[in-house]
Amino acid sequence: MKWYLARKLLLYLLTFVVAVTIDWAIPRLMPGDPVSGLIARLQADPTAAQEMHGYYTESFGLDEPLWRQYLNFWLGLFHGDLGPSIAYVGSRVTDLIKTAIPYTLALLVPAIVLSYIAGNRVGAMAARRKVLDNTALPVSYVLTATPYMWLALVLAYIFAFRWQVFPVSGAYDFALQPEWSWEFAKSFLYHWTLPFLTLFLVSFGGWAIGMRNLIIYELEADYANYLQDLGAPNRLVRRYAYRNAVLPQMSGLALALGAVVGGALVTEIVFGYPGVGSLIITAIQNRDYFLLQGIFLFIILGVLIANFIVDIAYVIVDPRTRTGLQGS
Amino acid sequence: MSSRKTRRVGVVGLVASLVSLAVAASLMASGAGAGPQAAFAVPRNDTLYTSGKQWGPYTNFNPLKPDYNTGIVGLVYETLFRYDPLKDRFIPWLASNGKWSGRSKYVVTVRNGVKWSDGKPLTAADVKFTFETQKNTGAQYGTMWKTGLSRITTRGRTVTFHFRGVPNYQEWDSNRYTVPIVPRHIFRSYSARELVTGNASNTRRIVGTGPFRYGGGAGSSQTLQWTRRDGWWANAIGYRMPMRYIVDIHNTSNTASLQNFLQSRIDLSNNFFPGINRHVGRGVGTYYNRAPYMLAANTAWLVPNTTKKPLNDVNFRRALAESIDVNRIVVADYQRIVSKANPTGLLPTWSRWIDQAQVRRLGFSFSIARARSRLASNGYRDRNGDGFVEDKDGATINLRLIVPKGWSDWETAIQIIADSAKDAGIKITPAYPDFNALVEERNTGKFELVINNEKQIGNTPYTYYDYLFRMPILASQTVSNFHRFSSARTWSLAQQLNKIQSTNVAQAKRVHSAIQRVILQQLPAIPLWYNGMWAQYNTRYWSNFPTSTGNQATPSTWNGYLNMTGIDALAKLRKK
Repeated sequence: MKWYLARKLLLYLLTFVVAVTIDWAIPRLMPGDPVSGLIARLQADPTAAQEMHGYYTESFGLDEPLWRQYLNFWLGLFHGDLGPSIAYVGSRVTDLIKTAIPYTLALLVPAIVLSYIAGNRVGAMAARRKVLDNTALPVSYVLTATPYMWLALVLAYIFAFRWQVFPVSGAYDFALQPEWSWEFAKSFLYHWTLPFLTLFLVSFGGWAIGMRNLIIYELEADYANYLQDLGAPNRLVRRYAYRNAVLPQMSGLALALGAVVGGALVTEIVFGYPGVGSLIITAIQNRDYFLLQGIFLFIILGVLIANFIVDIAYVIVDPRTRTGLQGS
Repeated sequence: MSSRKTRRVGVVGLVASLVSLAVAASLMASGAGAGPQAAFAVPRNDTLYTSGKQWGPYTNFNPLKPDYNTGIVGLVYETLFRYDPLKDRFIPWLASNGKWSGRSKYVVTVRNGVKWSDGKPLTAADVKFTFETQKNTGAQYGTMWKTGLSRITTRGRTVTFHFRGVPNYQEWDSNRYTVPIVPRHIFRSYSARELVTGNASNTRRIVGTGPFRYGGGAGSSQTLQWTRRDGWWANAIGYRMPMRYIVDIHNTSNTASLQNFLQSRIDLSNNFFPGINRHVGRGVGTYYNRAPYMLAANTAWLVPNTTKKPLNDVNFRRALAESIDVNRIVVADYQRIVSKANPTGLLPTWSRWIDQAQVRRLGFSFSIARARSRLASNGYRDRNGDGFVEDKDGATINLRLIVPKGWSDWETAIQIIADSAKDAGIKITPAYPDFNALVEERNTGKFELVINNEKQIGNTPYTYYDYLFRMPILASQTVSNFHRFSSARTWSLAQQLNKIQSTNVAQAKRVHSAIQRVILQQLPAIPLWYNGMWAQYNTRYWSNFPTSTGNQATPSTWNGYLNMTGIDALAKLRKK
């Protein structure tokens, strides 16, 4: 177990270094000079503009050679400093992300966990049950094939624009400011519903289909047939099938994380949700190297940590891996 | 399915998600910078909701750094004067008066009885301090110190600005109403770097002379709340803000903003809403109740790279100008919420400086026939029969016209331009690089044609002349003369105008006329249409918004507009 963990950790560390390096390099490959864009947006007067260009280039450290910038990036990272934002001059990337990330997490985590649980349950129920299979399966296919952005637009159109039962945009009522109160919590949940549903429904479809197929496969395995022939009740057989079917679904969860994060970003944009989605768009539009790096760093870390948790959970859930590790 | 095992997973999952929600909520409460004053919902009928200015999080509370949060200058920090572009007059504001003493001294009397929101009085030292911060490298208003301002002295309530030689009067006039006065007792503790690039975002230190104080929302990407404060000095001269709160709403997508606006969640929207004209009169108001609906805020120019063939030929530029059907853009693209620009490109608010007789004589107008014959008589002929003219030496002409990706109204406009120029035989290919790539191409002179509208309305057309003719031309042109038009003579005319006081009307008009002749004859850039000061009012909760027939003021919360007559627009609103 110890060796297994050490090996995994080393692998994760390596992945982290490579991913972060790519994360650092990619924004710098985009055409266009971020400082010129900044000056253009600031509408400085002509004499000041020349001076500002040099001043900002220097204060962002963009006048240094690339290897030095790369080194500075890692040094900053170890000090917990992701650098200054270019798009929002004067702000630190860490502060910008800190304000936005809670909203993104509040959408992502419940959507991932609840869709996984509900999807697997419904999928397992649908397997080999004609009526349910004929209804849940097509619905799931449609849901999982729906792009996040499109579903978000459809939900916004129906519930926010046509029927006006949910708000069009934002994370809380415009009359409020974030605070600990029932009023704010209620407003928060009310605004959270549509973006959450978007993420939940699309992922739900995927899990349901996967589980339904896996259960059918498991129910045809020798052990299931044998159990049935022994006269075991259907429920017991299904229980065993479910336990086996959950394993590939867990690996699937690790793989699906990236897509869900991407989905969350576009969903946030559609609903004007103040998470990292809109930050990332501005960061890309303004060549904000530091902000882009920072957000991707968070995504990389999030996905790696989630994968690690799935890895560990896998060992706990699947006795075969456990015994394999112990070498027996 | 309903085994103990799965049930346990379900429960664990639910608990995990609830815990994460709680963690997220707590982070949010700590991270979103909830102010101590903000622990309640503001009442709808006492709150003005605005939108259309803020695209990023509400982080920048520094009035001396451009791109500050909505309302920082105007609602919190104020300027010595305000400028009314519609009546072309300066309104004494923090200065009770200001005048030239001799040729090179400008003397300001600081208004008596003005108090900062922390109770301290506004002094001449605050004014001196503010202007002196602009000596710092990279400061936004630093030009004045490089072009004549030499020192500032104070005596009692008077502040004297001393200039070397003849001052740049036109530029100085702009500084009078754009430089926000900051409290010395607070801002002196900021370093030069913080003053130029910092956010001054400690919300306890947002101390201004204006009608509002900070209410909440710092750092967030949703709303910023301003709360009316007692003891605003302007109450004494008849100004009173009718709303207790102003809540500015961060822009998300245009569709979301439009829905919020139509559902009465926004009262004053400064977003660009194509098709808003269809709603005018049905609970929605605009400055004019018919076309063009909006005031003009800036000119959209077709900027040709005058260093590239065939755009270096004035005859070709003129033929190009004549081949563009701007009316089609106005009608089809904008549904008449913009209007066609004057051939000088000067805004309607500057009409008294426009030499109309000269415009009639020398101005270009749309005519495919004239464009065709002009091309032909200057050697641009279609030699290979593809419907497009070739250059005099037979080389193919295919001009790349760029606008930033996603600026949908401009994307449509350049398609119309390409289509219209085709009729005259000029081949234009529209392209949509993203903003930064476009800036790079434009600044370094790699582009061929680009649309640009960066110079805004203001007190003097000098800013437009500067934009069109500034010399010398550098490797990278950051904010002006993107077309790289080289004419030392015209630039010196512009400099000459800069040194004439606007009160010296006859002399100023002569120079204006000479510069405009160059614009009309040489077409360094081709003026197309006036972009609007986008403003639409939802009149469910508030009335008496600015209109052409009633309360004439700039109805905008964009930066630089509250210190025109945006403040009057707000003060004159009425609760319904």
